[in-house]
Amino acid sequence: MDCIKQGEGTTFVREILDRYPKEQRFLLAILQDIQKRCGYLPREALELVREHLDVPLSRLYSMATFYKALSLKPKGRYAIKVCDGTACHIRDSRGLVDALEKLLGIGPGETTEDGRFSLETVNCLGSCALAPVMVINDVYYAKVTPEKIAGILRRLEGEDDGDI
Amino acid sequence: MRVIIDGRECLARRGEYLLDVAKRNGIFIPTLCHSDALPGQSSCRMCIVEVVEGGRSKTVASCVYPVLGDIEVKTNSDKIRRIRRTLVKLIHASSPAGKHMEDLLERYGPLPENRFEVAEGEKCMLCGLCVSACEALGTGAISTINRGTAKEVAPPFKEPPEACIGCGACAHVCPGDAIEMKEQGGIRTIWDRNFEMLECTGCGEYIMTRQQQEYIKAKDPEGTVELLCEKCKRKKTVDGFRDAFKNTGF
Amino acid sequence: MLVCCGTGCLANGSHGVYREFEKMLKYADHSVKVKAVTKATGCNGLCEMGPIVKILPDDIFYCRVKASDVEDIVRETLAGGRPVERLLYTDPATGKRVKSHRETDFYKNQQKIALRNIGEIDPANIDDYIQRGGYRALAKALDKMSAGEVIDEIEKSGIRGRGGAGFPTGRKWRHCAGANGATKYIVCNGDEGDPGAFMDRSIMEGDPHSIIEGMAIGAYAVGARKGYIYIRDEYSLALKSMSRAIEQAKERGYLGDSIMGSSHSFDMDIVRGGGAFVCGESSALIASIEGRIGEPRAKYIHATQRGLWDKPTVLNNVETWANVPVIIDRGSGWFNSIGTGKSKGTKVFSLVGKVQNTGLIEVPMGISLGKIIFDIGGGIPGGKAFKAVQTGGPSGGCIPGSMMDLEVDFESLGSAGSMMGSGGMIVMDEDTCMVEVARYYTKFLAEESCGKCLPCREGLRRMLDILNDICEGRGHKEDMDTLLEICEALREASLCALGKTAPNPVETTLRYFREEYLEHIQDKRCRAGVCPDLTEYYIDESLCRGCGLCAKNCPAGAITGQPGSAYIINHDLCTKCGRCRRVCKFGAVGIGGGAVV
Repeated sequence: MDCIKQGEGTTFVREILDRYPKEQRFLLAILQDIQKRCGYLPREALELVREHLDVPLSRLYSMATFYKALSLKPKGRYAIKVCDGTACHIRDSRGLVDALEKLLGIGPGETTEDGRFSLETVNCLGSCALAPVMVINDVYYAKVTPEKIAGILRRLEGEDDGDI
Repeated sequence: MRVIIDGRECLARRGEYLLDVAKRNGIFIPTLCHSDALPGQSSCRMCIVEVVEGGRSKTVASCVYPVLGDIEVKTNSDKIRRIRRTLVKLIHASSPAGKHMEDLLERYGPLPENRFEVAEGEKCMLCGLCVSACEALGTGAISTINRGTAKEVAPPFKEPPEACIGCGACAHVCPGDAIEMKEQGGIRTIWDRNFEMLECTGCGEYIMTRQQQEYIKAKDPEGTVELLCEKCKRKKTVDGFRDAFKNTGF
Repeated sequence: MLVCCGTGCLANGSHGVYREFEKMLKYADHSVKVKAVTKATGCNGLCEMGPIVKILPDDIFYCRVKASDVEDIVRETLAGGRPVERLLYTDPATGKRVKSHRETDFYKNQQKIALRNIGEIDPANIDDYIQRGGYRALAKALDKMSAGEVIDEIEKSGIRGRGGAGFPTGRKWRHCAGANGATKYIVCNGDEGDPGAFMDRSIMEGDPHSIIEGMAIGAYAVGARKGYIYIRDEYSLALKSMSRAIEQAKERGYLGDSIMGSSHSFDMDIVRGGGAFVCGESSALIASIEGRIGEPRAKYIHATQRGLWDKPTVLNNVETWANVPVIIDRGSGWFNSIGTGKSKGTKVFSLVGKVQNTGLIEVPMGISLGKIIFDIGGGIPGGKAFKAVQTGGPSGGCIPGSMMDLEVDFESLGSAGSMMGSGGMIVMDEDTCMVEVARYYTKFLAEESCGKCLPCREGLRRMLDILNDICEGRGHKEDMDTLLEICEALREASLCALGKTAPNPVETTLRYFREEYLEHIQDKRCRAGVCPDLTEYYIDESLCRGCGLCAKNCPAGAITGQPGSAYIINHDLCTKCGRCRRVCKFGAVGIGGGAVV
């Protein structure tokens, strides 16, 4: 996921910047594009955005820590989001988080050492009828129970091995 | 505009902030995050008052409430006093060591034993004045980060801020005395960075950092930065006048 | 043939069903007498039963369709004209299978205005929208009405903002139209952040043109040439659907310069939300569009005077905009005849939680809570007792089961200590702990507050401290008064609506469920078995049949016993996950704990 380390350099940041006029109102959109591309906001990228828009670095850092869609730390190859919206909460989303914590050895907001999995809880994905919901890389898992989680992760890892 | 504050009739310009009207008329409203130089923070909410308009009462923050019609204002009703006291308790739990507490305790103390885990030693109450000062006078080297109860003031990546010019505006404006700034042997230390101080060419007192001088120069390449403290600047002006008068023969 | 492709049904595999239909029909076309057109539609509302397939013109309604069912549907229904019995919806009250969704209680009691097209059209196809009367209202406004007449019509309809506070939409438009300045903006709030709510997502996904048309009409009325729709970044399908619709509307001349040959020009862009609940607050949303962090500002001067980039701005939410074309098309009198004295029209709710039929509903204002939960929602599943319904999102309140006659409108929900909010409706049963619910919302708000003003940030921090203490057995009796004291400071002194309404969950649960607080504080007991520190599970010997299912499912190995005789829970090992209670078929696992046991 780390675009810069993979030798791609920062060209992709320049590509993103070229799409937007130099106006502050595009700051959030630019950061989101970088986030989408990399899975996080690399520091080098922020420096380039700062130069491009001529805004203080502190403002970028403030944005990056305010908005939940942005993150300064790389996410895992499998970004697991457990919905903790009300409907999921009262249908025991906490149980899912507990089970994932036990299986992966990480808490919400953390990434496993091998970079495979990251775990976070999110506020309502608007799929309340399917509660509790878990999303892994944009694939929705409906009515998940703690018992089902190990199987879901195993299947992912199976795919993973196939890819590599 | 006619505004009745605590039973007293006051005149106000349309759009003028209520706090300013009260101040001008010698009516005290407590504030923490208000600075005449950087108005409109509106974060501490200590300046709340009750406004009665068209028979309806509402609680507003007087520092940002514009007078747009004839209103009646109560700055010190039972309700307002009660809420301010609650705010003081909350402030005391989160920033008990701040300088602002001295005045608050004098006015609202003694407080009952705090129900909450008190953040011992914390001085910052997150009013945001430092960030505004840095944006207005400095380089925007610091900002608020995170949100909600995790909010704090910090430089980017919580490292000594590269953009800081050591002007100290943040520290001067802080009501809690929460930003540490030290000067020793011609070196100012703030935000974990050291800055070389420049002396007043008149009296030798330290007046600004080298980075500050460079910043002013860069902003106005045509102008010259006079290294004079306020006192010497005044003296120079007076001397200038005297010379001018002398030359004209008075 | 309509295949629901809303997020809910997609997660249940509706895309596979859609593809299967396409494949089957390509090969089997010669045997099908009437050429079937497969369409992917937006959400039908009854997400619990997804994926949903509807077949017109007979209006046959199939639930929980799997790709493997497609062959049967094509053979039986399309070719043979017979319904596939096993896929029909079963009425929970009568146990009978019903053919058309219109016969079900879930749909029968609804009235669709904002959701009028959803599930009926393919949102990717602008012609579908036009066929059902789309863009007719815009043409009418531009051809036959002056801007002032449009505002009059909206004002007379009595519609109030569907985003939360219920400000009269017509008055808002009038303020903006009367404001000084040549540049004005129209904004649509699609940053639906209330946990347990997905009304707006559904409209953006399923009927994007209704929003565009509403905004274009609003722009004409107030004199704006530019609009923005702020959409939650997490709503990928809604983003896709809206941007496609905007492109189509531009191509057809419903957006852009001189719309439909008139002198009115209006264009709009999408802004992706950054993931912050507070951005649902209008001044924070505006800050976010401007590229700043979403901190609200004092609103003593309204956005209609000084809004986006300090220009006069009308900001309404998705559902409000979707209502606008219908009001213009059918007239304010018609709209005004629906609803109650001060709340006109319908309201969309997402009915979720512990209720049989979860999903999206649209009902006339004034319908009773009981009718929604029991007639439309089909009551509480699993024979559990109904406890409360939470309305209005995190800043709403919990209304107890004893108030089910309450008529749903802005005023009555407000007087019950809750609010309309954007329309989340979360049903709670006996297994829901009301103190924990208050703690949940307070935690949510403490994280989602922007953190700028002191009462909101510090007040929520301390309220959460207290609620954590109560839920973990460290509560004091005075804590309830302290909570109320902080609530008052939040309500009165906070900068924005998030803080001002943040006390609602705590205040309503204290008002209606005080005894649960007292149990937590004094008896150290959580009757719902939700707070682990105040819960102890035990097996009732007289009910246990010794099947051993609990022991097999216990992740901690805390249950021991011999098959045939009663099992025992070892409390030192028990992690209080509650799985034993869920799996026991005989109701033998009880909740004790605290001073009672």
